[in-house]
Amino acid sequence: MSSRSSPIDGQIQIVTPENIAFEYRLAGPFVRLPAYLLDKLLQFACIFVLGMVLMFTLGSMGMPGLGMGTTFIFTFVLNWFYGGLFETFWNGQTPGKRAMGIRVVTTDGQPITAIQAVLRNFLRLVDGLPMAAGSVLPLFQFGLICCLLNRRFQRLGDIACGTMVIYEMHHGLRGLSRVDEPLVRQLAAAIPPAFPVDRNLARALSKYVDRRRFFSPARRAEIARHVAQPLCERFGLPPNTSGDALLCALYNRSFITEMPEEERRDDAPEKNPFLFNNAKPTALVDGSFDWSPEETAAK
Amino acid sequence: MKAAELLESRKNNWRELDQLCSKMEQRRYRKSTAESVSRFAALYRAACADLALADAYHLPPGTVHYLHQLVGRAHNQLYRSRLFNFHAWGEEMFRRLPQRLFCDNALRLSFCVFWGIFLISMYLASDYSPVPDFAEAVAGKETLEQMELMYEEPISSNNRGAEMFGFMAGFYVWNNAGIGLRCFAAGLVYGVGGLFALVFNAALLGTIFGHMTTVSMSDNFFHFVTAHGPFELTAVVLSAAAGMRLGFSLVDTGGLRRGDSLRKAAGEAMPTAMAAVILFILAAGIEGFISPSPLPYSVKAAVFGISCALLLFYFVLLGLPRVDDELG
Repeated sequence: MSSRSSPIDGQIQIVTPENIAFEYRLAGPFVRLPAYLLDKLLQFACIFVLGMVLMFTLGSMGMPGLGMGTTFIFTFVLNWFYGGLFETFWNGQTPGKRAMGIRVVTTDGQPITAIQAVLRNFLRLVDGLPMAAGSVLPLFQFGLICCLLNRRFQRLGDIACGTMVIYEMHHGLRGLSRVDEPLVRQLAAAIPPAFPVDRNLARALSKYVDRRRFFSPARRAEIARHVAQPLCERFGLPPNTSGDALLCALYNRSFITEMPEEERRDDAPEKNPFLFNNAKPTALVDGSFDWSPEETAAK
Repeated sequence: MKAAELLESRKNNWRELDQLCSKMEQRRYRKSTAESVSRFAALYRAACADLALADAYHLPPGTVHYLHQLVGRAHNQLYRSRLFNFHAWGEEMFRRLPQRLFCDNALRLSFCVFWGIFLISMYLASDYSPVPDFAEAVAGKETLEQMELMYEEPISSNNRGAEMFGFMAGFYVWNNAGIGLRCFAAGLVYGVGGLFALVFNAALLGTIFGHMTTVSMSDNFFHFVTAHGPFELTAVVLSAAAGMRLGFSLVDTGGLRRGDSLRKAAGEAMPTAMAAVILFILAAGIEGFISPSPLPYSVKAAVFGISCALLLFYFVLLGLPRVDDELG
C-alpha cells in the first residue's frame, strides 16, 4: 500500500491492496489549531467540574485531601492521555477534531492503533515548543514549521507515528445536474452525433454545469466562451450562439441522453455505437476534439 | 451506458454500503452478523470497481468525490485496527521489552549519566566537598531551606489523617509522571532535550541528597525517601532512555530515511515510556501511602528491598538474552 500527494491541492492519494486509488483531503495547521483549542477548553472544563464535584463530595465527607488527590490524578490523566484515549476509542477523533470534521489516520489511510494515538499525543509537547509565559503556553512553532516542511502536514508527533490528519468527507450522493431549456434542446440537435467527447472535455463540462447556477448570465458567457468558440467553428454554428447553452447541450448529450429527443433516436442511423459504451473513450483519438486547458489559456 | 443510467443502477448499492459503514462505525465490528459482513465485502468490491472505472464511465466529479469518500470509509472499516490486544501487550511488556532494554545503549547511557551526576553532586554537596557552596549554587538557598523545613518533624510523629496520603499519592502521580513524560518527549530533539532534563534532575536530586546528609534532619529525610526511591529513580532513567532512543534514531538512522528510522524507534520507545509511567504510578503509590506513614523503618527498608528485587528480576532475569531467541 502506498500513498502520494499532489503538491498543489492538499489531496492525498491512497492505493489500497485492491489496487484502488482513493483520495483524502489533508487537514492543515489552521484547522487543527481550533480543534486543539476546543480540546484544551474541554479539558479545563472537565478538570474544573470534576475537581469541584470531588472536592465538595469528599470534603463534605471529611476527606478533602483524598478529593484533591483524585483531582490531581484526573488532571494527570486528562493532560497526558486525553488525546490518546479519545483517538483510540473514537477511531482517530477527539471531541475537538469531531467538531472540526477532521480525523487522524495512518499514512496508509488506515485507522490508527492505540500506541500511535498515545505517542502522537505525548510528542505534542515537542511540537508545542517554544514555550512562552513561564513555560506554560505552547507556541507550536516547531509543529508549524514541521507541518509546512512536509507534504502531508505532519507535525513531529505525526512523523514519529506515521499518522496524518485528514478531513472527514461526508458529502452525500447528489444526482446529476440537469438543464432543460428550449435553447439547449434546440442546440443539441445541431451537434454532430459522431462528435466524441473525450475525458478532459467531459470533466470540464460536468464541472461547468454543476457550478453554473452560481454565476450570472454574463459570467457564464465569459467562462463558456473559451470552450464554446472553437466548438462553434467546428460545428459550423453562427459565432453569436450562446456558449452556455451549447455546453449544456453537449453535457446533456454526453451524460444524460444519447439524443435530445426520443424521435431523433430513430432516424439517427449514423449514431456511433462505440462512443460511450467503450471503456476507453480516449482510444478514439482519430478526429476527436483536442481540448486542453493550456491550449485555451494560450488563446 | 450513460452516466445517468449508471448512476441510477448503482445508487442503491452505494447507499446500502453507506448505511452498512455507518452501522459498523457505531457498533463494534464483532457484533456484525456474518451476512452483513459478506454483503459489505461484496458491496465494497463493487464500489472499488466503480471508482476504478469512474473515468471511463464519464462519471461527473461530484459523484467521483462521493465514491472516493465511500471507498475510504469502507476501507477503514475493512482494515480497522484491533483496539487493544492484552495478550500481545503483555508479551511485549514482559518478554520483548526487557530483552530489548538489556542491550539498549540509550538505557546504558541514561543510567550512567543519571547515577554518575547524581553521585558526583551528592559528593560535592556533602561535608567532604572540595566546593563548599556547591549545594546553594545548584539548588538555591530557598529550596534547601524548604527541604529542611519539610523534614523537621520525624515521620513517626506524623499526625496527618490517612486521607492525606491519598492527596499526596495523587499529587505525586501528576507531578512526577508528568516530569518523566516531559523527559521522554524532550528526547525527540536529537536526544539532547532528554539528556538535558536527565542531567538537570540528577544534579538537583543529588545535591539535595548530599545536602540532607549535612543537616540534623537527615534521618527523617532518608526515612522518607527509602521506600519509593528505587521505582522513582528507575522510572526517571527509563523515560529519559526512551526519549533518547527517539532522538538518537534521527542521528544514527541505520541506513533508513530519517522519518522511517524515527517511526521504527518510536515503536520500540513507546513500551519503554509506558513502563516508566507504570513505575511512576507505583512509586507515587508508595510515596503517598507508605513513605509518610509512621511505620517502622524496617518495613520501609523491606519495601526498598522488594522493589529492588523486582527491578532486578525484570531487567536482568527477564532481560538476559536467550539462546532460543537467537536461533529463532
